[in-house]
Amino acid sequence: MAEPLLSVKDLCVRFPTERGVVQAVNGVSFDLEQGATLGIVGESGSGKSVTAKTLMNLLPRSAEVDGSVVFDGRDVRALAKSHENHFWGVQMTMVFQDPMTSLNPVKRCGEQIAETLRYHLGHKKKQAIAEAVELLGQVGVPEPAKRVRQYPHELSGGLRQRVVIAMALACQPRLLIADEPTTAVDVTVQKLLLDLLDDLRRDRGMSMILITHDLGVARGRCDEVAVMYAGRIVERAGTETLFTDSRHPYTDALLRSIPRIDQPSHTRLDPIPGRPPDMTGLLPRCAYAPRCRYAQADCLTAIPELGGIVGLHSFACFHPANTERGEAALTANLDAGETAAGLRIHPIVEGAH
Amino acid sequence: MRFVLQRVGQLVMVLFAVTVITFASVNVLGDPLTNILGPLARVDCTDVYAGIKPDTSTRGGTSEGDCAIIAETRKEFNLDSPLPVRYARWVGDISTGDFGTSFQNQLPVSTVLKNKLPVTLRLVGIGLFFSLALSIPWALLSAYRAERTFDNFSTVASFGLLAIPNFAMGVILLYLFAVRWSFFPTRYEPAGIYNQLKSLFLPGLTLALPLAATYQRLLRTDLITTLQEDFVHMARAKGMPAHTIMTRHALRPSMFSVITVFGINTGALLGGTLVIERIFSIPGLGTEIVTAIVRDDTPVVLGIVVIIVTGFVVVNLFVDLMYSFLDPRVRRG
Repeated sequence: MAEPLLSVKDLCVRFPTERGVVQAVNGVSFDLEQGATLGIVGESGSGKSVTAKTLMNLLPRSAEVDGSVVFDGRDVRALAKSHENHFWGVQMTMVFQDPMTSLNPVKRCGEQIAETLRYHLGHKKKQAIAEAVELLGQVGVPEPAKRVRQYPHELSGGLRQRVVIAMALACQPRLLIADEPTTAVDVTVQKLLLDLLDDLRRDRGMSMILITHDLGVARGRCDEVAVMYAGRIVERAGTETLFTDSRHPYTDALLRSIPRIDQPSHTRLDPIPGRPPDMTGLLPRCAYAPRCRYAQADCLTAIPELGGIVGLHSFACFHPANTERGEAALTANLDAGETAAGLRIHPIVEGAH
Repeated sequence: MRFVLQRVGQLVMVLFAVTVITFASVNVLGDPLTNILGPLARVDCTDVYAGIKPDTSTRGGTSEGDCAIIAETRKEFNLDSPLPVRYARWVGDISTGDFGTSFQNQLPVSTVLKNKLPVTLRLVGIGLFFSLALSIPWALLSAYRAERTFDNFSTVASFGLLAIPNFAMGVILLYLFAVRWSFFPTRYEPAGIYNQLKSLFLPGLTLALPLAATYQRLLRTDLITTLQEDFVHMARAKGMPAHTIMTRHALRPSMFSVITVFGINTGALLGGTLVIERIFSIPGLGTEIVTAIVRDDTPVVLGIVVIIVTGFVVVNLFVDLMYSFLDPRVRRG
């Protein structure tokens, strides 16, 4: 197999704060092939955005980073230190969550796209604006020649996100990181934007990291999905495998907590009990154990490593769901009425009202 | 355009209100007749006008009786008309460029203004220019490396500049750069624009330093807030270099507080250059207005007030227009 486009190894990010050191990312490793799409799924505070910001060199100066990030044979963290000028924005770029705030309110849309072209590709102003019109057309903005002269506040949220996408794609990057690109727009616009990203990615052979807290967004648009919890990847698999044959109890619980169209109406969803751990004082145990229906004594004394078949289906769990070992653990906990971490649990009644 | 007209309308109202108050207070709180004639105004003329006593002169060398002089003066300055009529007359005169005549030296007030105003305007202009030219790059540098060595040093320096009274600053600068090293003249030299600018350099700097410190504090804080914005992250994700992000993306949306305070300060500055003018021997408006107030020279006081208020109003109109230049979202309002 060829060298992966992006290779992240043992990435750790810590933020020293007054309340203690926030361990935002704790040993994340993944590879991404040229042209592939990786979904990173997790709830708020799981470290998915921090991972993206680390790749983009957008972390505040106070952050302490360990581990290696290699993009096409180049050490990204060394590039950051050397004040490399034409890497971010050209090779790797990012689209942010909120299109209402990610455009500069006092600059015309065209100017904001054109400045990227002028700086990285040395275009003259006229040429850059002409190309901006072209790009806006490609991302499906109607009347692009008029839009380049408009200010962001004159556009709707969906249009603004298209402008942001055009801006990000201006210099033909090889990797696009999309951090919750559709969270802040209407549901009707969401699908359009996701399809647009998908098409653009295919046309350009671009790789993409799609960060989302919405499993439904990841499904069907990603080759692989990595689920993050408390700064670690807890499960990683091909998208269909993950949705049909999840192993980590957290993934399993996430899937159970979203409504499905084939369920009878008024089916009670299963929320995940408890809340994510305090990231300032992570203990040497499985971070999910206190909320896990499968938790056993060993979950509380050691951190499970990402195992299984790396590259196909890997997960970090001692008692994985949908396996004999996991079912035995669950049965034992149900019999006892509580898990080893003291969480009271009851059998899930399928289809209960 | 409607926006501009609305602003101009508001500013005319401000000009009206301030002149009414000033005009009324100098005429009601002080006695204009005394201001013009001095002790003579206190002569009791009731009996003379009634024909009981003859009109005699208490001053030597003139055959004209005191009460005749008083009557003449009252007529000349319209002191018998009601206040609103006198105000209307005064406004009418001003609109033709006639500010009246100084009680002190019988010079037309417009001549006094013509002599003193350009010097003060130049001084204030240079001061404002220095204050912005110093504070903007200074704030950009400290916000870019916030909480680090340069920024921490800047905080101490700017509080220092704010704490030093401007007369002390003026004397220090005058001593060092004019007396000790003779880079600049010690007094105002009116001959030629080069000499004028050279002799206004130090006083301008004295005015500018505390202002620059204020603007640096304001702009630095706003810049740090702006730098947290998503569009700044987006600009970084596009690979824009740091200086482009600071000057092209972060600066404009961060200028609001500075521009607002700039407008307010400028008004105060126009009338508040007295100390600087004294230290650097500049014949400007600041000295003139204080002299006029002390000597109850009403036409001069009023004339200068009109100039200062107009200046304040114009600068703030400019500030309002700057808002809409800085943020296109204001333009729709």
